[in-house]
Amino acid sequence: MAENNGGAKKVSLKINNQEYGIVVEPHWTLREVIHDKLGLTGTKEMCDHGACGSCTVIMNGRPILSCMTLAIECEGKVIETVEIVDIEKHPLVMAYANNHAMQCGYCTPGFVMTAKALLDRNPNPGEEDIKDALEGNICRCGTYPAHIGAILEASTKLEGGK
Amino acid sequence: MNKKLGIMEIEPLVRDRYIQDEFEIIGKRGLTRMCGIEKASGRAEYTRDVKLPGMVYCRILPSPYAHAKIKSMNTEKAEALPGVRAVLRYDDPELADKPLYGLETKFNAGHLASDGQAFYHGKEELAVTLEQWKQGAGRILDGVAWWEGHPVGAAVAADTPELAEEALGLIEIEWEELPLVLNPMDALKPGAPLAAPEINSKNNIIRKLKIEHGDVEKGFKEADKVIKFDARRRPYTVAEAEPISDVILWRGDNVEIWAHQQQAYDGKMLFALKMGLPLNKIKLHIPYQGSQFGGGGNPMMHHTHGVHIISGILSRRLGRPVKTFYDRRDTFYNLSQDADCYTSFRVGFKEDGTITAVKIDNICAKMGQYGIDHFEENTRIPNLALNYLEANINVAPAYWFRCEQNHNALCLSLVFEHVAAELGMDPTIVALKNDGVEGKDMEYLSKFKKEHGFPDRDSLGECIEVGKKAIDWDNKWHKPGTKVLPNGKLHGMGFTWTHEWDDTRGTACAGVLMHCDGTVDILSQKSDDGLNAMTTHCQIVAEEMGLKLADVNFRMFEDVGFQMMTPDGSCNLAVDAYVTRNAAREAKQKLLEYATTPIKLIDIEYPPVFPNNYPDDLDVKDSVVFLKSDPSINCPVAEVVKRATLNQGGTRAPLFTWSWHRQGRYGTERGRHRMCRQAYFAEVEVDPGTGGVEVKKIVNVNDVGLAISPETCEGQQYGGDYMGVGRALAEEVIYDPKTGVKLNGNLLDYKVWTMRDIDTTVNHLVETGMGYGAYGLNGIGECIATVVPGVIGAAIYNAIGEWVDDHPMTPDKVLKAISKAKRGGLR
Repeated sequence: MAENNGGAKKVSLKINNQEYGIVVEPHWTLREVIHDKLGLTGTKEMCDHGACGSCTVIMNGRPILSCMTLAIECEGKVIETVEIVDIEKHPLVMAYANNHAMQCGYCTPGFVMTAKALLDRNPNPGEEDIKDALEGNICRCGTYPAHIGAILEASTKLEGGK
Repeated sequence: MNKKLGIMEIEPLVRDRYIQDEFEIIGKRGLTRMCGIEKASGRAEYTRDVKLPGMVYCRILPSPYAHAKIKSMNTEKAEALPGVRAVLRYDDPELADKPLYGLETKFNAGHLASDGQAFYHGKEELAVTLEQWKQGAGRILDGVAWWEGHPVGAAVAADTPELAEEALGLIEIEWEELPLVLNPMDALKPGAPLAAPEINSKNNIIRKLKIEHGDVEKGFKEADKVIKFDARRRPYTVAEAEPISDVILWRGDNVEIWAHQQQAYDGKMLFALKMGLPLNKIKLHIPYQGSQFGGGGNPMMHHTHGVHIISGILSRRLGRPVKTFYDRRDTFYNLSQDADCYTSFRVGFKEDGTITAVKIDNICAKMGQYGIDHFEENTRIPNLALNYLEANINVAPAYWFRCEQNHNALCLSLVFEHVAAELGMDPTIVALKNDGVEGKDMEYLSKFKKEHGFPDRDSLGECIEVGKKAIDWDNKWHKPGTKVLPNGKLHGMGFTWTHEWDDTRGTACAGVLMHCDGTVDILSQKSDDGLNAMTTHCQIVAEEMGLKLADVNFRMFEDVGFQMMTPDGSCNLAVDAYVTRNAAREAKQKLLEYATTPIKLIDIEYPPVFPNNYPDDLDVKDSVVFLKSDPSINCPVAEVVKRATLNQGGTRAPLFTWSWHRQGRYGTERGRHRMCRQAYFAEVEVDPGTGGVEVKKIVNVNDVGLAISPETCEGQQYGGDYMGVGRALAEEVIYDPKTGVKLNGNLLDYKVWTMRDIDTTVNHLVETGMGYGAYGLNGIGECIATVVPGVIGAAIYNAIGEWVDDHPMTPDKVLKAISKAKRGGLR
């Protein structure tokens, strides 16, 4: 589809505490806007079908698949991408590095954002809570067991900071 | 310390002679993964993320037919679409002399021994020829499609990805559909359609060979019992995380490449060859790699390398950077799927479990694996025979996907499991009974170990002991089909084994550069495929130089003239670790010389930090140089090197050393015996109503020789479990049997194992030091996913009392086997 089809619309988004006003085509996904247009490249394209969780961002407090979300429908939304964990020095980052909870790392941002959404609503999750949260994320390298340790470590740091 | 460090001898049959007694950083747990912060915070850049000013986006047309020829093609409408900048047609003169087979560099290096696959056990007659490679691999951007999804006809470069996609839809093609063949058994029948008549106009045979050791007929006569059985292993595919792309920018008479490739330097070599450029005009960038698993290597290079040619031609035309990208479906089509294999076994054995003969008839689609290698390399079975045949068919190329030992490992598992089952013996006993090497027993191997400087340890015995304890084997293993759990499910225990991966063929080189502040860069380019090479090599250099780990860095992304083998932290580490180790030792020696040698500048002499000492008087620890006889006399490394490298006119010369290493022709030459082993145990529950298999526990015990980064090795263990169980139970590339259209080219329909799909993985490392790599290490990365399907098959058999020798062992097949077991009187 060509870009100039007349349906483009300006949407206002708050991403990682920054205000954005961006003209989007009706068919652009939120992932395309975040990754391709805004250059926040931590939000990855892997399956492009809502199957893998690599493009997970947090929208209004909930983890969502940005490859299955049209940007034009996101007017006024408050969004966090994986870059927020770096900006805010979230303990998940060091916990993931300490626990080797990545191999190639391509899917890792999706896991981290899913984990952040979990910790945001439940700062002290158990192992089953973590598995429930992450069971929709695909890691082709199979790093799954390491995520549990990483999230528990981050949880401890978060709790300790309170 | 040996003063002539630069010539430390590396003997291919002998254990590393230069191993220190104790380690400070090597083998240490709890180190932060050096790529971890970048990756966890989304700051790691992958080729897919690369975006350059003025970049255009290129898409290549996928063939809608599994076998078809372009009769005519009209690209005028595509060219006229606003925003389309160039269309490259298969019949354009720029492509006339560039059939993009993608692997010719392997045959351009003077002699075949440069290629790992060229020789099999040193036998030249088994070398793969270029014609065979071509037939198995296919071409990119040609006028003929050999499989559905084959990138053919035209490539379009446009201002946006959407425009490029739209333009592809405007290309008008008149196709001539050709007869197709989709199954290797069908392909071998008389009168079968020819899969690639442009290369082989006689038949569909790619390769046909025999391998024989001893006399199998004699072995069958000596046996107390001879069994026959068949197995099939259907194709599974990489499904890698990052979809394929590359970026090429032609800058005047220089070119820059951003590559998503496991063997990216080979891609550069092919680009230079095809485009007529000297290597020093091409600068290669290899960002982080969203997984690889070998699927983009070897024959698959016609894509990963061929894409470079397309991007390169278009970039030269346009004077703009070109990003050619595959979508998820393209990536499914065009990375290696492991070969569809039909294998028949005949096995003779004695009542005590001694196997006397194994005969394997193996037919593979496209390019596969022989199936006999592991019998040769880690058993005492004296009589072996293989008939091997590769048949070409009209599906995407097949080759190695984590890894070249898939079929070899499965064949070993199947034979040992069937023999143990026939005898009603504990399979661990059958394994130990037949452990050996190249038809010889453990007594012979023990002698070899001693003569070649290795510790003489019983690797398999140790692995089995650890594994049995971890899974409570002695209490839980039972006769097949005899244990029903309170939940109504059938309980099964499995065991399998094989040797370590010692993928040590190849060459590596690296530099060690110390800056004037005492920090070190390791200089070498390699792909980061997730094996934690960054931390691993920094550990080696920090250990050898006496530096803090934080003072060493390894950014392997840029072309610096040195390359290492990829992947790493994996099998190639057996080669790569030598070069960082040797360069670091030499650098340390140089540092200590700097610390004790004055610098003369005509009329001025600057004293060294330790003016009255020799290098041998000093040592380094925690980035501080100290006098061995009195450690209180010391100086930070930074001060030593700063003084020695003098600031003049704002520049400084660094301390620099480099090393290279070439090891073996191929990791499995005869006489280069394998000494380390691995053992796998699994516990499953099978639902007799659905045929569903739940994997409750997997225990991996791997003798890695020495673990430089234990967490990295363990990551390969549990990570391999998920891939291996997926292969065992679900992963399969499915084609429509009439049209050859791939039916599950996405991550919804192609099942990849996720977090809840295995209950527990337990991982143990055994470190016997019996590897050929530096420090006595060998590899692990390829092992687990390769071997796990065999142990799952064994556990399912133990649960239901019937074999499901058709992988993946999907519920329908398991149910059929349960029915068969019931007919046979079980339950």
